[in-house]
Amino acid sequence: MKFPSPSSAEAVIAVSGLSRHFGSKAALDDVSVFVPRGSVLGLVGENGAGKTTLIKHLLGALKAQAGGVRVFGLDPVLNPVGVLGRVGYLSERRDLPGWMRVDEFMRYTQAFYPRWDEHYAGQLLEQFQLDPAQKLKTLSQGQQAKIGLLTSLAYRPELLILDEPSSGLDPVVRRDILEAIIRMVAEEGRTVLFSSHLLDEVERVADHVVMLQRGRVVLNGRTEEVRRSHILAVLAFAEPPATAPVLAGAHAVAGYGSEWRVLFGGSRLELEAAAALVGARVVEERTPTLDEILVARAGGKGS
Amino acid sequence: MNVGRLAWPTPTGAMLWEIWGRHKLNLCWQGIALATSVCLVHWKEQGAPKDVAPLLVLFSSLCFLGAYLSLLACFGYIEVDAWGVRLSFPGRLLLKPVSTARLVLVPMFFGGLVIVTSFAVWTELVLRHLGNIAALDRLWISAVLLSFFWWMQVLAWGLPLVKGRMLVVGVLALIHFLVWRLPQMPRTALSGWQWPILAASLASAVPAAWLGLKLMRQGRWEGPLRISRLWSRLRFARARGRRRRFGSAFGAQFWLEWRRQGWLLPGISGGMALLMVPCILIGFKLVGVGTGPSETNLRAELILPLLLLPLVISVLLGSVLAKFDRLHATDELPIYLAVRPMTNGGFVMAKLAMALATSALTWLITVAAFFCLALLGKGTLFSKAGLVTPYGPVAFMTGCVPVLLLLVIWTWINLVAGIGAGLTGRAWIGGAYMFSRVVLLDALFVLAGSAMENVNFRATLLHWLPGILLVCLAAKLGVSVAAFVGGLRRNAITASGAGWIIGGWLGCGLLLAGYAGFVCHAINQRGLWIWVALAGFLMLPLANLAIAPLALAWNRHR
Repeated sequence: MKFPSPSSAEAVIAVSGLSRHFGSKAALDDVSVFVPRGSVLGLVGENGAGKTTLIKHLLGALKAQAGGVRVFGLDPVLNPVGVLGRVGYLSERRDLPGWMRVDEFMRYTQAFYPRWDEHYAGQLLEQFQLDPAQKLKTLSQGQQAKIGLLTSLAYRPELLILDEPSSGLDPVVRRDILEAIIRMVAEEGRTVLFSSHLLDEVERVADHVVMLQRGRVVLNGRTEEVRRSHILAVLAFAEPPATAPVLAGAHAVAGYGSEWRVLFGGSRLELEAAAALVGARVVEERTPTLDEILVARAGGKGS
Repeated sequence: MNVGRLAWPTPTGAMLWEIWGRHKLNLCWQGIALATSVCLVHWKEQGAPKDVAPLLVLFSSLCFLGAYLSLLACFGYIEVDAWGVRLSFPGRLLLKPVSTARLVLVPMFFGGLVIVTSFAVWTELVLRHLGNIAALDRLWISAVLLSFFWWMQVLAWGLPLVKGRMLVVGVLALIHFLVWRLPQMPRTALSGWQWPILAASLASAVPAAWLGLKLMRQGRWEGPLRISRLWSRLRFARARGRRRRFGSAFGAQFWLEWRRQGWLLPGISGGMALLMVPCILIGFKLVGVGTGPSETNLRAELILPLLLLPLVISVLLGSVLAKFDRLHATDELPIYLAVRPMTNGGFVMAKLAMALATSALTWLITVAAFFCLALLGKGTLFSKAGLVTPYGPVAFMTGCVPVLLLLVIWTWINLVAGIGAGLTGRAWIGGAYMFSRVVLLDALFVLAGSAMENVNFRATLLHWLPGILLVCLAAKLGVSVAAFVGGLRRNAITASGAGWIIGGWLGCGLLLAGYAGFVCHAINQRGLWIWVALAGFLMLPLANLAIAPLALAWNRHR
């Protein structure tokens, strides 16, 4: 599960050995991530895992304390114009100028991007049903997310970075946003980095996934491979253990009596061998969802 | 669960604790300002040099003014909402199960109590030693300060969305300034009414605040929201056909700066100047025009602020200008700006251009107000002959142009003085810079005062002055070069941006030197020219502007 490396494809994002400390707390610890052109990367992890910190490094809002960050081969701190001109960004923090009207915000943003597509912006405005005369401060949360997405997409950025884009939004707006992203990826082959807590979204959209835990990368690979590299199994014990059994390779063990659910990281053979060691047998198994993997890894505090 | 010190027996205790928790640093600064002023007053009374004494008085008075304004901020209970748009009573408190009366009374009465007590302490320890504050004046000034504090709260809590509220607060300040001066007017028609007016103002403030907050809490009043929306719609419809895209990113950024900050200085100082015109005229009508020394002094006291307003307010607004969005909750660069593909130098240039435009507009409005005053007060305030005829109108106007240009540049310098420190996005750096600036200015005043008093010291100082100025200029150039090199190396500024700043500094410096040369020649003091020219080059900002893109880079790429 060695994915993706700079040699495998042209890396739009290349982060190598990135570390960042806030005081004594390590927000990122030796993080390496490579995102090839045309892929959709899902960045997942619990709160405080370092997702937003990593994204801020990609935008040049934070300077690397150790390691390197390259976006399109450029350093976003030294060359903000070269990088940011090709990046679209939508944040969970809707930090928009509330005093501007929708049309003013569009005109203002347009001035920074020579490749702004007015026709496309008009289409999105209509699709999102936004009133150009309305002030941003009077928009609902969902409308704010939509205007943010509109101004991030209208210049057809080569890389779209979405930091918890659907946080706090209703299912209808989430669907609209996801569809806009999917269409962009499908029609234009753009690269997307997508951070979210809603892992069903990530599973639906992302073809690759990186999981961060306490500032470290604990999973990095194709979404399907990540899922298939884990097994959610039910183990049956002849003698019910008094305490939770300790299984080598298990990220989480939960249950009671003679049946215990285990999320195991490894192959079926390895699971059977580990189960036999503790006197159990596998009675049920399936491929877990990303959500189950994240919860198990976060609950077990990693291996 | 035992929450220990966090448990407060009553909501009043919790509200007061919150004020203390949020503003303890601010309140500590008040203590430092008071202690400094007491030391200065003690020095003055122990025989400070004669020329320095007025400066000590000025500095102590400014300390008191700063302490009063800081208390307004502490107890005002005026906060910016999450949007950075609405400045009003803290919304989170409106949702607490506490009566509106308590919400109103706690900050108003405790704040009022602290303000009045603080004034009494300042008067006893400092102000009493500076001038003549009679027993009646103490009570009167306390009441005026309290009235202004309460009415500021009434406006802030009751009119959260009114766009021109800052102007309304400005007018309120002006009214209170004039009310404060009532007892000192030579002949006033309001002498019998001054206390009833103030008593009515104080008595009506609390019910007005209660009513405003009550209606807002019930969701029936958010300021004239409907009018604001209607006006917004009308403006949008009118401008729709004329809307064009910005020619460049610089143009868009300039527009943003102008919309957010550009109108502040012209709006406040120009607006106040225009409002002062009828006030002064009416005041003179009421007082009557005489030629005695008291009328002459009063005339100067009322007209001089008109011309000094832009300079004074630009100093106060300078720290605000460094922020990209003055109501943004933090000093950090807002994310919607940080992700725009623009160099840090580009952001700075847009800010500098806005500051220049705003300075020019302010002085145009001020000059217009002055001419209004001259025309309307012809024969009352001024004699036309005294003002214009000795030079002729053309010569008078021509002579005014360079002075006006100098005033515009001076205002611009005030606005951009702290830009390098402010753009770092660290409040403590901005505060430390302002403090060091005040200390440096005071030191310069003390040095100048001592030189005027002590002949030997003056001779020594004059001997070394060109050398000192040259060293300062060399240091300034050294810092600027280092900052430009650092900025270019970090891509914080482009070569053309650096060129514009250096060119502007050289151009303005040479213009100033030329003008100084012309004036020195005219007054037959040719020897002064080189010093004035050097001082001009020192005063014009260069290092500050060179540091600004680097500071912004430090803020943007943390």
